Amino acid sequence: MQDASTVAGAGAPRGRAGGFTDWLPGAAERRRAVGDAFLDTFGAWGYGLVSTPLIEPVDTVAAGVGGASQTRLFRFMDADGSLLALVGERTVSVARVVATQLRDGPFPLRLCYLGPVLRNAALLGGRRRELLQAGCELIGTPELAADAECVALAAEALGRAGLDGVQIDVGHADFLPGLLESAEVDDATRERVLAALSGRDLVAVEAALAATPVGNAERSLLLRFPALRGGREILEAAAQDLRAPRALRALEQLGDLWDLLGAHGFAGAVHLDLGAVRDWEYYTGPTFELFSGDLGFPLGTGGRYDTLLGRFGLATPATGFVLHLDRCCDALARRGLASGGFSVLVVGHVAGEAAAAIALATRLRRAGLPARRELRACAEDADVDVLVRGAGRVVWKGAGGRREVSIDDLLSQLTVGGYGNGVFGTRDAADVGAQ
Amino acid sequence: MSRGLCIAVPNGVLLEGTCALLRRAGIAGLTPQSFDAALLVEDGANRLVKVRPTDVPVYVEMGAADCGIVGKDMLWESHRDTYELADLRFGECRLVLAAPERSPMGMGDWPPALRVATKYPRAARAFFDRIGVAAELIKLHGSVELAPATGLADAILDITATGGTLRANRLVEVAEADRSTARLIVNQASLKTRFEAVNEVATALRRAVEERAPV
Repeated sequence: MQDASTVAGAGAPRGRAGGFTDWLPGAAERRRAVGDAFLDTFGAWGYGLVSTPLIEPVDTVAAGVGGASQTRLFRFMDADGSLLALVGERTVSVARVVATQLRDGPFPLRLCYLGPVLRNAALLGGRRRELLQAGCELIGTPELAADAECVALAAEALGRAGLDGVQIDVGHADFLPGLLESAEVDDATRERVLAALSGRDLVAVEAALAATPVGNAERSLLLRFPALRGGREILEAAAQDLRAPRALRALEQLGDLWDLLGAHGFAGAVHLDLGAVRDWEYYTGPTFELFSGDLGFPLGTGGRYDTLLGRFGLATPATGFVLHLDRCCDALARRGLASGGFSVLVVGHVAGEAAAAIALATRLRRAGLPARRELRACAEDADVDVLVRGAGRVVWKGAGGRREVSIDDLLSQLTVGGYGNGVFGTRDAADVGAQ
Repeated sequence: MSRGLCIAVPNGVLLEGTCALLRRAGIAGLTPQSFDAALLVEDGANRLVKVRPTDVPVYVEMGAADCGIVGKDMLWESHRDTYELADLRFGECRLVLAAPERSPMGMGDWPPALRVATKYPRAARAFFDRIGVAAELIKLHGSVELAPATGLADAILDITATGGTLRANRLVEVAEADRSTARLIVNQASLKTRFEAVNEVATALRRAVEERAPV
């Protein structure tokens, strides 16, 4: 046995940058199938596909994400000295496109995208640095029905990709800041509490609130923030003794959203989460996260971002979401739904029948059946799915054993399998010639 | 969701206090010896894994564990995104700036180009930024207290529980940068998808902490 290093030459380059993945046949096909399911669903809801560059000026990217995320971008210099970045998310690119080339509408504008984003995450942290993201943006309307549509569409797309029964957590970016706004604390304290909340640090929230005159109702709500969750009933409970108008308006909107999501058929999947902590610089209304229940990260996140387009010179409200495709593939794998691979019929031929085999493979492919042809002539007992023997006859190797059938019978009885469901893997499903 | 939680507990100085607290809270009947045979222990519905303190936030962020107990000092340095739900008030230690006994730093006379050796560069950066001092940080992985004696640094920024190590190395505290105690951290998805179980653990731990040390 040869040492592996001598096979390709000891000095041959073989490195791959840390945090990046090679997707091999099977895994890559499954990943594509998930993306296809997402885009098909978006299209079915009337969202138009846009494709935006992988690289944007740093100024453009910076308009979208907060300071902390900016440090996690791959940045480099253009020939003219201007700074560029590989996009870390795509909503900002869609916002730029809408504010420039699509600024005349017609609004509301429904757009969707699918593409890689890059994060300069620390090496060896177990985090991917290239991620595939699919998402929708519904731009130009403040209607709550638009927020409900986004939540429902995100859950629907996940279901279409095989991820049924996701948990939908719906919160509101105005609730916690609204509580603080009415709590008569100074700006510095307010900033400290909000920073502690977005740092998800309840201990620091408690410490920051300890020395403030925050009212009892507001204080107890703030300190219970991770526990403020449940069904519609929690809205009324939270509204008791509360005077903060902005927080009350958020509660009212969540109630309406709850009802709308019921109409979309997701009543059983929705949890209201008043303690949802999201980027307050970015989100301005309802926010949501979708969880698989067996993965430590959300599959998708979204929410209303009414100020983003204004940063590009088009002051118009918007809402949207992103689905993290790689996490969805992880979740499918956890559910054991990723075992089926890309299946393909193997077509062989006996000596002298190459042309007939080429013709058969072509007919199979045109009928939507993936077919791979053996390049050399086979023995009679070769391990192929279909062996072309001449005179319009083939041997089909089905579950019930080998059977000789005519090419026309074969084509009329094989059904289109498609990707990932292993139709040809279990030959009984497409057994030919059994009477 | 019926299955119990996976809880990460830290090896080392916090292990005994962690086991004691989990026992008092009625979450798991653990002692440090429970992990002698295996690092993964089933206890009732829950599973407990013993990992290095620095790895607790990794397990929790990635969802390999639903929650974990870890010193705040480990969270200063980790870039991990988790929820910090409760101060468990044991394993107390302080992050202090310490200089040699005879150093003028003890009299408030800090060198203009202060060199500080530390295992906690992020916490150190936050501290020096807060007090407006431009210190040059030197990251070490252990035995930080040797740095001043060997001329590697003017001072050290390190954690201390009793001050014994500082005294033994003829170092004196110049300033306190931060304080650390054990914390309960939770995975962002587990907090939502296994809220009942997580909340039960958090509530039981808080109650056990309050009983021991009433406010």
